[in-house]
Amino acid sequence: MDKSEIRAILSAYRAGDPETQDPRFQQARATAEADPELAQWWTEQQELDRVISAKLLSVEVPRELKTQLTAWEKRSMQRSNWNRGIMLAAASIVALAVLFGSWRGPFQPAVSLADYRDEMVSFVKLDPPLELESSQLTRLTAFLEENGAPSGLNIPQGLQQMNAAGCRTLRFRGHDVALICFKRDDNGELVHLFVVDRKAVAKLRGTRADPQFAEQGEWMTATWVDGEHAYLFAAKGTRPTVEKFLGTS
Amino acid sequence: MEFERLVEEFYMPLYRFGLSLSRKESDAVDLTQHTFLTWAVKGHQLRDPSKVKTWLFTTLYRQFLAEKRRAAHFVDTEEETEFVEPPHFSPSIANAIDANIVQKALHALEDRYRAPVTLFYMQQHSYREIAEILEIPIGTVMSRISRGKAEMRHSLREEVATEARKIVPLTKGGQDG
Repeated sequence: MDKSEIRAILSAYRAGDPETQDPRFQQARATAEADPELAQWWTEQQELDRVISAKLLSVEVPRELKTQLTAWEKRSMQRSNWNRGIMLAAASIVALAVLFGSWRGPFQPAVSLADYRDEMVSFVKLDPPLELESSQLTRLTAFLEENGAPSGLNIPQGLQQMNAAGCRTLRFRGHDVALICFKRDDNGELVHLFVVDRKAVAKLRGTRADPQFAEQGEWMTATWVDGEHAYLFAAKGTRPTVEKFLGTS
Repeated sequence: MEFERLVEEFYMPLYRFGLSLSRKESDAVDLTQHTFLTWAVKGHQLRDPSKVKTWLFTTLYRQFLAEKRRAAHFVDTEEETEFVEPPHFSPSIANAIDANIVQKALHALEDRYRAPVTLFYMQQHSYREIAEILEIPIGTVMSRISRGKAEMRHSLREEVATEARKIVPLTKGGQDG
């Protein structure tokens, strides 16, 4: 067993795992411990693995995810006073409906506007990477179309006059969503336009000329329906700020 | 196990595994949600409580495969037993690694290496459990971890070098006067 082979074997080694009690690992480990050069290399490898693990385990998890998950449990607890038979039947239907809702199959029940808005705003708060960075809106819309996101978009005049920053696609409960980001002139921050199939979101009422506004912490959102698409605009600021961006003020 | 306790214990590692697989935050959220919803519907069928963790990770992984419709790339049962010597990695580079760099390096891995390497670094699963989750032989798991770690070190080195190039050194004031 030469040094290269020992390094290769030890690269798959993990202390304490029963599988690495295999004689081949044990021999490689014993040889490495007896050789100062290999011992030094082995110490460094383990330290590097420790650093990588620590960094991986520090990757941020969206705070609202736990709330969403435990909310299902709370909802089911509220139903506990129902007649047991009805409750079981209803619970199965609800569970299956929600389950189908998270699949990417063709049967996607529409979700509430509030849920859609919450998830999209939470998404941009995480500062997601863009898949294409370009200031040319036509390049961005072409990219989105090529990647299966909603196409034939009707982007408000106010946004068309801003500098585009980039775009990406994402998934929402089985639907493709297009996200286009624009750069603000005043502070360089991004504002975000999401577009999804209108069937993905229930009870949308706003129109392009008269969108529905909703505050979400320091964010203001505007939603409207245009053709087959549901539009959601999100920016930090107040309603007049958003109206100015959209050109509806 | 009580649902809320299950969420508390596993939602973060499941999300991180989902993020590593899908490379997208929104997909990782979807995968995590789907996993717990499947548990809500089918979890009672699991007889052995010690298998909950493996069951959840397997469910998430299967869902990922189903969504990507690339199962053939993943449920490849061909036995791989070769180990690969990792490239040299200076300890000073380790100090420059952050979570973002680790994620980028993981995302750069081929799919078949990314899943076992992620599970290896999450430190929650034995090799046997990783083999059960990914539904591949244990020898293949170890070989893929070895090869994946070697590839990852190449990416880490490149990412660290890229980040280092972004740092503009401060010039000392008053040198001309």
